[in-house]
Amino acid sequence: MTDIEVKNLSRTYEYYRKQQGLLGSFKSLFHREKLYAEAVKNISFSIESGELIGFLGPNGAGKTTTLKMLSGILHPTNGEVKVLGHIPSQREKIYQKQFALVMGQKNQLIQDLPAIETFVVNKEIYEIPDKEFQENLEELVNLFDIKNILDIQVRKLSLGQRMKCELVAALLHKPKVLFLDEPTIGLDVVAQKNIRDFIKKYNREKKTTIILTSHYMEDIKELCQRVIIINLGKIIYDGKLDDLIKKYAPHKLLKVVFNGNGVRREEVEKFGEIDEFNPYVCTFKTNRSEAKNTAVALLSSNLPVDDIIIDEVDIDDVVRKIFTSQS
Amino acid sequence: MIYLIHRMKKFLTIVKAFWQRALTYRFTVLVYRIGEIGETLVLILMWSAIYGGQKNIGGLTLQEMITYILIGNFFNAIIRNFLSSVIARDIKDGRLSMFLIKPMGYFSYILSQEIGRISLATMMSVLSSTLVIIFFINTFIWDFDVTYLLVILAMVILAFIAELLLSYLIGLIAFWTDEVDGLYATIDRIKKFFSGGYFPLNLLPIAFVQVSFALPFAYSFFVPAQLYLKKVDLSTGLKGLLIQIIWILVLYGIIKIVWNRGLKRYEGVGI
Ligand SMILES: Nc1ncnc2c1ncn2[C@@H]1O[C@H](COP(=O)(O)OP(=O)(O)O)[C@@H](O)[C@H]1O
Ligand SMILES: [Mg+2]
Repeated sequence: MTDIEVKNLSRTYEYYRKQQGLLGSFKSLFHREKLYAEAVKNISFSIESGELIGFLGPNGAGKTTTLKMLSGILHPTNGEVKVLGHIPSQREKIYQKQFALVMGQKNQLIQDLPAIETFVVNKEIYEIPDKEFQENLEELVNLFDIKNILDIQVRKLSLGQRMKCELVAALLHKPKVLFLDEPTIGLDVVAQKNIRDFIKKYNREKKTTIILTSHYMEDIKELCQRVIIINLGKIIYDGKLDDLIKKYAPHKLLKVVFNGNGVRREEVEKFGEIDEFNPYVCTFKTNRSEAKNTAVALLSSNLPVDDIIIDEVDIDDVVRKIFTSQS
Repeated sequence: MIYLIHRMKKFLTIVKAFWQRALTYRFTVLVYRIGEIGETLVLILMWSAIYGGQKNIGGLTLQEMITYILIGNFFNAIIRNFLSSVIARDIKDGRLSMFLIKPMGYFSYILSQEIGRISLATMMSVLSSTLVIIFFINTFIWDFDVTYLLVILAMVILAFIAELLLSYLIGLIAFWTDEVDGLYATIDRIKKFFSGGYFPLNLLPIAFVQVSFALPFAYSFFVPAQLYLKKVDLSTGLKGLLIQIIWILVLYGIIKIVWNRGLKRYEGVGI
């Protein structure tokens, strides 16, 4: 079954040039210069029930805008959106009870109260029956292992703990479709992994349709089989993650930090293709399968290695590759 | 009927949550109340000085004037709210978006939130105003005329509703402009002036009093206080209730229009 159907969707923002100073503000009460930003340009895709899709793109690509249209916050300028058979911008209650949106940048928890209070408020808003609420809550609390923080003021929780609670608040009404807008943003590596593991598990167990946006390859790589890449408001890739990696991201980045007096370029060149170089920090581009071996080789050499980080390539890099291959 | 109970429960759950939130800030709430008591005392001192040897200003003896200030502030403590800035913040920060996707209207949500939020402050204000009244127990004029009190009660309830709607409407200005704090402070002063909170309105020209009787503000302070002192008669009080009801309907209508236009803009600009 197709849960989400997007056809030729576009969105243009109107905004106003900000005038400087008091006089400017006063003038702008009467006349303001209107400007337009095309955030999403004629995109189409469809998503089947139970899929977990990665919506990947650099900052400003149009990911949030798309999710806002899917959840009915924004009306499309052009084109059509259908989610679960509903048109989101009509804001029908039956639709609203069937999806949830979690934004890494915006919180819905009541900050001055323990998270449990927001859960109870949401129970009323979504009209969840008592028994169902208790069951869902218990299940989610166990899944996330947050029993011991339910009674602590949200403000006093770590960012990772807060995100867990945000997710619980959004899942209490058992949404069929879940939109996650950069849920791992600002989190430390361990917390990121926690959240990812949860999303994966939740999708597998509940068969919830999930769109997850990110500007990290890392996020998507672990979770999604299918990715959609958006850049400057246009979809430039929609397909299997494996294919994407094979074709456009065959490398990993190996960032090596040297201490002492650093190194000379000639000393490190033999370890692989150099992406960036200075005597103290050097980044290699290595094949996925080679990354570990290269790291071992570096460590066992007599170079003054202080630290090695193996990372995914930048999304901007992938986008560039896709473009050059297409043109 | 079941539907109604359901709605009520929704409402009360939100009220309760925000009541608790207020409790976590009880110290701040307390400090504000001390400020209010100070303000009332300064007003009383000031009027005592102005009266000097004079018997009567604007038809009120000093004792009546002090009662006016005390009882007026008591009513005002029940009536006022701080809804505008809450709404403005939701709009400016784009938090409104998170409400637009929920199966509950923003209006109902924010009203229950505000009632929960202010109930503690209101209780403490009522308590502190009562304390000040007790402090002036010998000066304060006690008068328990049940018919008057009933009219006053109805007036205070209607004034509470009218003020909520008015604050909601003012809060919606944030759809059109970012800088609202100064504007709200100014509007608050104007409201207080027209309500008779600084001094009884009948010190001003008669035309002015007539105008303010047609506006909703006087019913939050001046009119109920004058009713208590029996400086205006019951028929004026009843006419006042009618004017209040008309204002509530008008405000509700304006809110609907402004909300829809504001939302259009919010969606266009896409905060
Ligand atoms: N409210 C707005 N007014 C004007 N332009 C906006 C607004 N919101 C986003 N944009 C612009 O639209 C584009 C897409 O933004 P967004 O959807 O937030 O991107 P992403 O979530 O992928 O980072 C960006 O160029 C951004 O500057
Ligand atoms: Mg975004």
